[in-house]
Amino acid sequence: MKGKGLLEGLWITLRHLFEREITIQYPEQMPYLQERFRGCLQFDYKKCIVCGLCTKACPNNVLSYESEPDPNSKKKLLISYTIDLQYCMFCNLCVEACPTGTLYFNHNFELSEYQRDDIKIVYEIPRSAQAVISEPVDSPIEMVDSDSEPAPQPDEEEAKKQKQINAMITALQKNPVKAVSKLVESEDQARILADILQADEKKLIRMATMMIEDREKAGKVALAFVNKELKDRQQEGGAGNEPE
Amino acid sequence: MENWFVNIAYALTNWLTGLGLSAGWADFILLVVQWVCIIIIVTLNVIVLIWLERKISGFIQQRLGPNRLGPFGMFQTIADAIKLLTKEDIIPSATDKLIFRTAPMFFIIISVMLYVVLPMGENMVIADLNAGVFYFISVGSLTTICLLMAGWGSNNKWSLLGAMRSVAQMISYEIPLAFSLLGVIMIAGSMRLSDIAAAQSNVWFIVLQPVAFITYFIAATAELNRGPFDMPEAEQELTAGAYTEYTGMRWALFFLAEYTNLVAVSALMSTMFLGGWQGPFLPSWLWIIIKTYLVMIVFMWLKWTFPRIRMDHLMSFSWKVLIPVTLANILVTGIALQVFKGMGW
Repeated sequence: MKGKGLLEGLWITLRHLFEREITIQYPEQMPYLQERFRGCLQFDYKKCIVCGLCTKACPNNVLSYESEPDPNSKKKLLISYTIDLQYCMFCNLCVEACPTGTLYFNHNFELSEYQRDDIKIVYEIPRSAQAVISEPVDSPIEMVDSDSEPAPQPDEEEAKKQKQINAMITALQKNPVKAVSKLVESEDQARILADILQADEKKLIRMATMMIEDREKAGKVALAFVNKELKDRQQEGGAGNEPE
Repeated sequence: MENWFVNIAYALTNWLTGLGLSAGWADFILLVVQWVCIIIIVTLNVIVLIWLERKISGFIQQRLGPNRLGPFGMFQTIADAIKLLTKEDIIPSATDKLIFRTAPMFFIIISVMLYVVLPMGENMVIADLNAGVFYFISVGSLTTICLLMAGWGSNNKWSLLGAMRSVAQMISYEIPLAFSLLGVIMIAGSMRLSDIAAAQSNVWFIVLQPVAFITYFIAATAELNRGPFDMPEAEQELTAGAYTEYTGMRWALFFLAEYTNLVAVSALMSTMFLGGWQGPFLPSWLWIIIKTYLVMIVFMWLKWTFPRIRMDHLMSFSWKVLIPVTLANILVTGIALQVFKGMGW
């Protein structure tokens, strides 16, 4: 019959009229991402053994690092690790090459920056944290504690504590994400906490003191800070920046 | 509810004559008020219609359509109107200035003139002409000249091509448009639109004249330059045809006129084929609005479903299919009328 195609077309558009829209209202509504979605390339310095396989695997020379020999062992010490994300084509070859699972993709796809230099992700591992990497201990604080003398005088202890706190403050100021990563569970939380602390000097000092004096309490306070910040962000702009 | 607007008109004339004006002057002032009302209705209606068109096109393509300004994006069109009003009025130097400037004005004036004979409800016509249908068709075909003016005045070959196309298309489709209405006129025995609407109290003419309804619908779509017959505008090949050189409010006037035409043609269709103001429970003017909007939604549905058809196909469809069909329809209607008359109906 002539004109059947026209009626078919009308029927299709009529059905579409009442079907659900497939548009996602992006900033308010985050898209559903599959587990293996390749967002931003991330580097977990604690696992890195400085083998350099990732830099060899990368076809675009996105990855580079600096290292120096560890005077105490045969291992290498990582000084800095750079991911020049602007050349990354998210091919996953570095992730496959890494023997320790140091590199991974998270679900953050909002990678645009105002400055060209900001696209580069540079992980500078500070001196204090470098020891952390080489030592298999849990936290920088315990590491520092292990150096302490068997029975220090009260005054001396106080001075030492102050010294530790000062060291922690500098660590927090220099590389907050790394320094607080032990307090919270995920990288995202660490980043949020770092933002909070950098924005408020008082909070930073308080947190540093707490981290030296009472680590459990510091962890709890940190979590509270992160939760509050997340709630604020949610109130400000819909679902906030936490990727699903 | 039924007589709200009629009562308002009576009250106004009574008040004016009470002030000491002669009946003629009171009628004149009433006419002016009616005109202003129509222009306001048309303008506000276009705001709703553009929103509706965007929403429907969005839903058909499984998008959301406008959704940022106001509830369901209702204020998007208002924002667009403000934008268009504040835009720079660019007139290219090589244009025929007088024709270029007057074309959109004539277009909108002619479109609004169509509303004179349209019954907006029972006893709600500005001028209930005894040749209402004839008036509507003749005034409606004047819009062709405005498009030609716009295309010629723009001094741009694409605009001129678009204008020529629209003239060819609109004149060819004028014929089946008029012929398909003839069947209805023959049955109703009148060209007065209120008589035609009243004649459908028992059965709508869409039942008696289904072929005429379909041919009228197709011809009207072509007459309105709407998709799938939007050859004159053809954004992909002619960059909006006759409207290419227009900016800001002049362009918006064309847009306004197109939608005004759409409403007028849909209102005529609901009067001629869908029983006009007749309907249960609701007041007559509400029924006209409902029917008109339903017809317009079908127009939009068609536009967002079908791809544009080729120019030569368009012309041959009019001359080789629509005109013979409408002529045959008139013949059959005439014979049937005589037969039924002979049978003593």
